[in-house]
Amino acid sequence: MKKIIFLNILLILILFLTGCWDSKELNKLGISLIMGYDVENGKVLLTVGFINPASTQEGDMEGNLSVKYAQGTGNTILEAFRDITLKFDRRVFASHNKVIIFGEDFAKQGLVGHIDELMRDREQRETSYILIAKGAKAYDIMGVNPGLEQIPANYVLELIKNTNSNPKAMSVNFIEYIKHYYHNGHHPMTGIVEKREKEIINKSPDIGPTSEYELSIIGSAVFDRDKLVGYLNGNDTKALNFFLDKIKGGVITFHTPVSESSSDELSSVYIIKNKTKNDIEILDGRIILKTKVKLTSSMGEVIGNIDISKEENIKKMEEACSKAIEEALEAAVKKVQKEYKLDIFGFGIVFHRKYPSQWKNIESNWDEIFSEAEFQIEVDTNIIRTGLINTPINRIKVE
Amino acid sequence: MISPDINLNREKIINAFHSTGDLVTYEFKTNSNIKIMAAYIEGFIDRDIFDNDILKPLILSLEDPKDIKRTIFISKIEESDSMEDIIYQLPNGKVALFIEDMTICYMVEISKWEKRSIEEPGSESVVRGPKEGFIEDISVNKVLIRRVLRNNNLVFEDYVFGKQTKTAVSLVYIKGIVNENVLEEVKKRLNTIDIDAILESEYIEELIEDSPRSIFATIGNVEKPDIVAAKILEGRVAILTDGTPHVLTIPKLYVEGLMTSEDYYLRPYYASFLRILRYTAMIVTVYLPGVFVALQLYHQEMIPTPLLISAAGAREGVPLPIVIEVFLLTLALELTKESGLRLPKNIGNTVSIVGALILGQAAVQAGIVSGLTVIVVSAAAISEFIIPELVQGIVIIRFIIILLGGMSGLYGVTCGFMIITTHMVSLDSFGIPYCWPIAPRNMEGLKKDTFIRTPIRKFIFRPEAIAKKNVRRQNRNRER
Repeated sequence: MKKIIFLNILLILILFLTGCWDSKELNKLGISLIMGYDVENGKVLLTVGFINPASTQEGDMEGNLSVKYAQGTGNTILEAFRDITLKFDRRVFASHNKVIIFGEDFAKQGLVGHIDELMRDREQRETSYILIAKGAKAYDIMGVNPGLEQIPANYVLELIKNTNSNPKAMSVNFIEYIKHYYHNGHHPMTGIVEKREKEIINKSPDIGPTSEYELSIIGSAVFDRDKLVGYLNGNDTKALNFFLDKIKGGVITFHTPVSESSSDELSSVYIIKNKTKNDIEILDGRIILKTKVKLTSSMGEVIGNIDISKEENIKKMEEACSKAIEEALEAAVKKVQKEYKLDIFGFGIVFHRKYPSQWKNIESNWDEIFSEAEFQIEVDTNIIRTGLINTPINRIKVE
Repeated sequence: MISPDINLNREKIINAFHSTGDLVTYEFKTNSNIKIMAAYIEGFIDRDIFDNDILKPLILSLEDPKDIKRTIFISKIEESDSMEDIIYQLPNGKVALFIEDMTICYMVEISKWEKRSIEEPGSESVVRGPKEGFIEDISVNKVLIRRVLRNNNLVFEDYVFGKQTKTAVSLVYIKGIVNENVLEEVKKRLNTIDIDAILESEYIEELIEDSPRSIFATIGNVEKPDIVAAKILEGRVAILTDGTPHVLTIPKLYVEGLMTSEDYYLRPYYASFLRILRYTAMIVTVYLPGVFVALQLYHQEMIPTPLLISAAGAREGVPLPIVIEVFLLTLALELTKESGLRLPKNIGNTVSIVGALILGQAAVQAGIVSGLTVIVVSAAAISEFIIPELVQGIVIIRFIIILLGGMSGLYGVTCGFMIITTHMVSLDSFGIPYCWPIAPRNMEGLKKDTFIRTPIRKFIFRPEAIAKKNVRRQNRNRER
């Protein structure tokens, strides 16, 4: 009996002894959704965007700002975080952080020198998206909100999610970046964000210029391991997304294959599904990079004198589309091989997988080998739908 | 011993009842000059029958005192020669007839007293299915059960408990279907009862149950004859108690609390949907407030961002810590519930309106509690009301879970869950595991009548754990 009582007391103590050591009331937390990292005067400058919960309440008459910002500086990220505590009344709660923006200077200096904390800390999420502020400081970007979302961070987040329907930008989260950083056969890539002047279209005099800027995430940032070395434009980013097999939607535009081949008429298809496979082949000591794209699409626009109700004309359209993709991808590879001499497409990983023993010998100078390698591409387009009408609007009626 | 002298007997009876006011002793002479004294308790007998079928024939045509059975027109008549027996029987609605010069007394039963009419019980009302419920009178209740089971195997075993109340108690079962082990155990435990009063069947329940200290009841109680019939048809034993419409059923399984009689009177799909709804409600009502507290205090990262933002907005300016807020609101809910229950109906409505307005509207507007907390607590309350049978356990466990969630987060809630579950699976109801068919697992029971209610044609066997004999319910040539 005594034993049983003792055991029960022990069991109950297990519950109580844990105590409330990490309990935190919701109204003592500063929920951050966006963070920006910059270097200024050799120190880390951290900018955190906090949600102001009071502003989300119905009947908030005081017109509170929905987001408030705080900045902290320090030699390391953690020091910068702790610097904030003496300037902002609530504790930084990073578990819901969605977007991390690195200023251009910070990225040029190299990310990994600082970001250990972001992986080590329990509260930081590895699924935060990474963006590089092109030609700007991170805090310049933060707070710009021309969208309908109440919270600027959500505006940026929605932009990143929209890459599903327009692959001219990258959506890369923290864990993806780190994964590629560790592999010698694949330099990491991240998305970029740029502040642009915006035309004020709303001319209503009593509203006034509410927002003069908008953000654009078109393009991507090229890294040599952890250091930012340059940017790719939108079309090259789209090609890059093809290589990384991250295409989930989007539009391909090509010349309409009409008989008088000099026509400038353009048609486009939208992507339903895409599968890209990268391959490497060694032929007589030469390394050939091979890419196979299998695209399923639907007709989006057809402009030109072509009757797409005929099977052979659809075939022609498919070929034209394939050709357009081939050219775009080839151009992107050429450009990267020439300009950056960095394997950002992940061919190194394929090489590693296919020829593990040779990989060890060439691992250290793979980027050079990559930039001199031959590139072959094969695209197979399949148009499965034609939309609501068969005859293009501007087709010359013969009958 | 009954003396030949009527006056002596009369004195004895009056003394035995301490000259109580409702004891009537009526002395009269028949036409043939025989002196007779009738004794009865006022209000316990049928006056019409007494006057027309006893007094009238006796006065008009009794000639020989031994011919009394031929003279009066009553079928329930006994002879008795012991004064103790007579005194014992009088409060049961009997009339004692003492005849001059005879040492035998005739006991005539013409009992009749005011009873509540048979109504639909408030706690087990149904849309489809029989609407009559038990009343306080045991003989009527027996008839109600017999009317469902017109069967010579239906047995009522009568007992009397309570030295003061002398409450009639009846054990009901179907011979040939009942689980004999359970029956023996029930009889054994009933025989140990030695108490001065049985005022409600809860007295018997607490005197014979397996785990008197448990928060869970291991004896069921029902108010409707069709449910009792269904239970004893599964091999159970029921105990009727005079003076209460609540009939005990033994053994009780936990899952019974999540079933209703209507499950079997509705289409199986809808009945199954309701079952699943009740299981969900059980989990929600016990754990939702506790998990809510735990998430808000310890696991903010687990809440989806938009929800967290609105939760944080709702918490803004609330002075109380979340545990105390939820605890107080749940307490207030219990207050409203209890006050609405005990008051007369018209005032009860007022109380619930005041409670709802004060708790729901005013408290939120005043910023004392957050709107989200009100939603969570009322969701738990609504869920509680669809499983009324389990309410007593649920309310207490909910409070414990809230405290555990506030003290150590989901870890505490999990510990609470483990302790409760371990306790539940360790319970027994008269030798039958309380959590059957979930633990110990029984596929037949789980598949056919636990989370879903399969069509009646699939109910070929009675529940394996309870029914041991005559287990086949229906003979189907083709098992479809």
